[in-house]
This record gives sequence, structure tokens and C-alpha cells, in this order.
Amino acid sequence: MTTSEAPPRPLTSVMDETPRERVYRHGVVARAAHWLWALAMLVLVMSGLQIFNAAPYLDASDKSNPARRVLAFGAERVAGVPVGTTTIFGVTLRTTHLLGYTDDGLGEEAPRAFPAWATLPGPQDLADGRRWHLTFAWALTIALAAYLVAAAARGTLRELVLRPSDVPKLWPMQLYYFRLRKEPPPHGTYNPLQKAAYTAVLFVFFPLIVLTGLTLSPGVDAAAPWLTALFGGRQFARTWHFLLMVLLVGYFLVHLTMVVTTGMWNNVRSMITGWYVLGEHDGVGP
Amino acid sequence: MKRRLFVASSLSALGLTACGPVKDSLTNGPFRNVLLSTETLNHAVIGTHGMAREYNERDIDRDFRVNGLDTPSDALYSGLVRDRYRGYRLRVDGLVDRPQSLTLTQLRAAGERTQITRHDCVEGWSAIGKWRGVPLATVLAMAHPKATARYCVFHCFDSDESGTRYYESLDLHEAAHPQTLLALELNDEPLDPDHGAPVRLKIPTQLGYKSAKWVQRIELVADYKRIGGGNGGYWEDQGYEWYAGI
Repeated sequence: MTTSEAPPRPLTSVMDETPRERVYRHGVVARAAHWLWALAMLVLVMSGLQIFNAAPYLDASDKSNPARRVLAFGAERVAGVPVGTTTIFGVTLRTTHLLGYTDDGLGEEAPRAFPAWATLPGPQDLADGRRWHLTFAWALTIALAAYLVAAAARGTLRELVLRPSDVPKLWPMQLYYFRLRKEPPPHGTYNPLQKAAYTAVLFVFFPLIVLTGLTLSPGVDAAAPWLTALFGGRQFARTWHFLLMVLLVGYFLVHLTMVVTTGMWNNVRSMITGWYVLGEHDGVGP
Repeated sequence: MKRRLFVASSLSALGLTACGPVKDSLTNGPFRNVLLSTETLNHAVIGTHGMAREYNERDIDRDFRVNGLDTPSDALYSGLVRDRYRGYRLRVDGLVDRPQSLTLTQLRAAGERTQITRHDCVEGWSAIGKWRGVPLATVLAMAHPKATARYCVFHCFDSDESGTRYYESLDLHEAAHPQTLLALELNDEPLDPDHGAPVRLKIPTQLGYKSAKWVQRIELVADYKRIGGGNGGYWEDQGYEWYAGI
């Protein structure tokens, strides 16, 4: 597949050994935003888990309400042995060492939802966890705003937003990824599944994770009570915030898998220099 | 391939072990100034605007959660509890023209406000209580703050295991907010010792640690740098933000 934006590839490039055609795909703002997002995601997830550990449960309510609990981590002693537990929608699983009763970052295990290796800072430290989180929340938000403005100006946004006409092509594209279809459905620079993922992340997941995060603040709740009401209250916003984190981490893992499996060096280089070499993986990229 | 796998796994093991020291040096090294500076930005952007939501009777948590430092058990405070706070005086002094020393009866007579508001803890949980007391602004006005006063500092009866006293501070903009209350009652009962009797601060537009319990004295100051650890409060001295609206 060739891209709709790129000029037609000269025949010679297929016939002989001359280098394949390159396109300038990612502008400087898009590249900077990507690396900043990667760093911000890492810091925000880890510091977020540090903050979460201070109250390791999620309620679907405004004030804390154990009757509306959807997720909880705990620790108890069973026959004298410490056990870590994870309770999701009332179903309790034993998750010792992994969740609930884990490494405290000081060489021992303790009642602690997420282990020290997954949090920032490692040992229990809500104050510094908040400092990291509230700083990199700005980094993520500024990168998002800059990316959207630059992508709109460059015209990239038009190429990657999902349109109604893309919807019927989503399943054929998925079949192609499952190797149940030989050719991907015809599409532009980005295939329908890429467009769906980018649209969800840029216009739903990122904005919502920022807004649900802000709703946890009493100052924001006083200034914009409609926001708290929109998410079903402060604790509910905390639950949405956590769920959105899980969705974004899921997106990130798929995104990274695609980077690696569709010409890793070409993909990484294009996110450093902006230049992407057209070839066999066109249209099935990250 | 096997060698590559070995190198990769050794590197990731090394990475995980090195993680602790790396996180520590990033948190406490030169980058710390960047982490600390965000507070100024958050304060400027969010600040204190609007009113915290007020709830209905049916939303109240009758068994309001107790958190924070232990209830004071020293002779002074125990004596006050035994005496049913008859000997209690709330002092308002510092940069004021008319220092005050108010009994609970005088405080009750000064003004009254009841609010059912949500208490948002920095840890992440929330609880709803019905608070009744005197608006802080009313009490401050009685003392006639001088033009140089910028903050009010709350000196409290409680201290931690090491003997460090609890204190908190607000700027006069936050202190003037109509919902910033010197609470005397919780859920239609006089405050009990565990909830900060006889007088505590209740500021629903900020996180719970700002709502100092067991208030003994309110001091008006131009700057809080010379009080306690210099950061404006007990938890602030432990690294928490002075601006607790987020």
C-alpha cells in the first residue's frame, strides 16, 4: 500500500537497489509530544499508584462508600501467614507479593496495594508522589494541547481522525491483523483501526483523564461543581481516573507492540527525525 | 540468541535494582525544585473560587472518620476536657489592633453558620459531615488585623510522637471565604475530643489536612517562614503542599 498523500513511487525504486522513498511524516511538535508523553505516562502511572496506595480502594459514589466499592486491595493473616488480597466487584483473589501485601521498598513486605518497583517514589511517600503527579500532569496536558494545535495546522489531524465512512472498514482491518484476510481494506495514511485508537486517545482518554483528575481537587470542585456531577462524584471520578489509566496503559502496550512488529527501526527513527521510509509495512504501523 | 536473552535479563534485573536509587536521586536532587514549583502554578490556576457543594441531611456520615495525629493526652488538654472546656480561651493575636481571648460562649455569640460539606482527604477518601460554628472571617474581624497581616496561623493543642506541634496557616483570602469555619459542632453534637474539640477549622475548599483540629490560638503574621519548619504547617513541613486546593 502506498499512502494517499505521498507522490506515486517511481518504478525504478522497486526495480533496482536505489533507496526506497522517504516521507516527512512527523513534525517536530508531534515528535517532541511523543517523547514527552512516554516520559509523562511512566511518571504519572507510577506516582499515581503511589497516591492510590494511600487509599487502596475505588468506589462508584461521591463520598467514600464501602457498599459501592468496585475495587479494593488488602492484607490479612491466614494461619499466621500474611496474605495480600485483591477484591474486584466483590470477588476476592489472593495476590500476595504482587498486590495487597507487597515489597515496601525498604527491603521488606508490608500491607501495600502496589509494590515499590511500580511506584514513584518507591517507598510509601504520598507527599512526593503528589509532587511528581501534579508536575507531570502539566507535561501531559501541554504536550496534548501543542500536539493538537500543530497536527491541525499541518493537516495530520484530518488524516488520523476516525470518520463515519471508516466504521464499516474496522472489522475487515481487524480480520487482516488476525491474518484471516489477505489484504487490508483500502485506506489513507492511517488504517481504520489506527484512526479509531488515535481518536479515542486524543479526544476521549487523554481529556477525560485530565478532567477526572481535576475533579479529585476540592478547589476545582468548588469552582466547577458541574464537573464533579458529570462524573458521579469525587470517588466515582477517582474510579474513572483509574480505569482511564488502565485503558491508556493498554493502548500504550498495543502501540508499542506495533512499533516493534512493523519495522521497529523505521518507526523509531521517524519519531526522532520525522522521516519515514515507505515499504512493506505502510498502513499497518503503530 | 541465548546470550542475547541472558544480557537482556541481566540488564533488566540491574535496571530494577538501580530503580530505587534512581527514583530517590530524581526526587531529592536538583529536579526537586521543578517538582516544588508546580504548586505556585496550581495555586495561580485553581486558587479558591466558588462555593463547595452543600449537601442534605441524608448524605451525612453519622460515624465521621477520625484521621491524623492522636487526640492530645497532655495535662493541659485533659484538664480542659474534664472541665468541659470552661477554661478554654481562643486567643487571636499577632498583627492585630485588638487581640482577643474568647470563651466558647463568646464564640457562639459572635456568629453562626451551619454547612453540610464533604471532607476530602489527601489520601483519597471523602466523608460528609454537618459542621456548625462561627465563620473565621467574623472572628478575625473582631481582632482588627493590621494592614501588614497576610496569613493567619493556627496553633493547636496536639503534637506528634517526637513532640512537634501541629499548626496550619491560611492566607487572608482563603480565611475570608464564607465556608471557612471555626467549627464547634459536628453532626448536631458539640465536637468530641477525637474530632478536634472544642474548636477546629473546617475549610471545605481545601484538602482535609488544612482543617486543623484542637485550635488554641490564631496568630496573624506577615510571613510564616519563622514558624515551625517554615512551610506554613505541620504537614507542609513533611513535604505536602501549602496550597491544598488540589
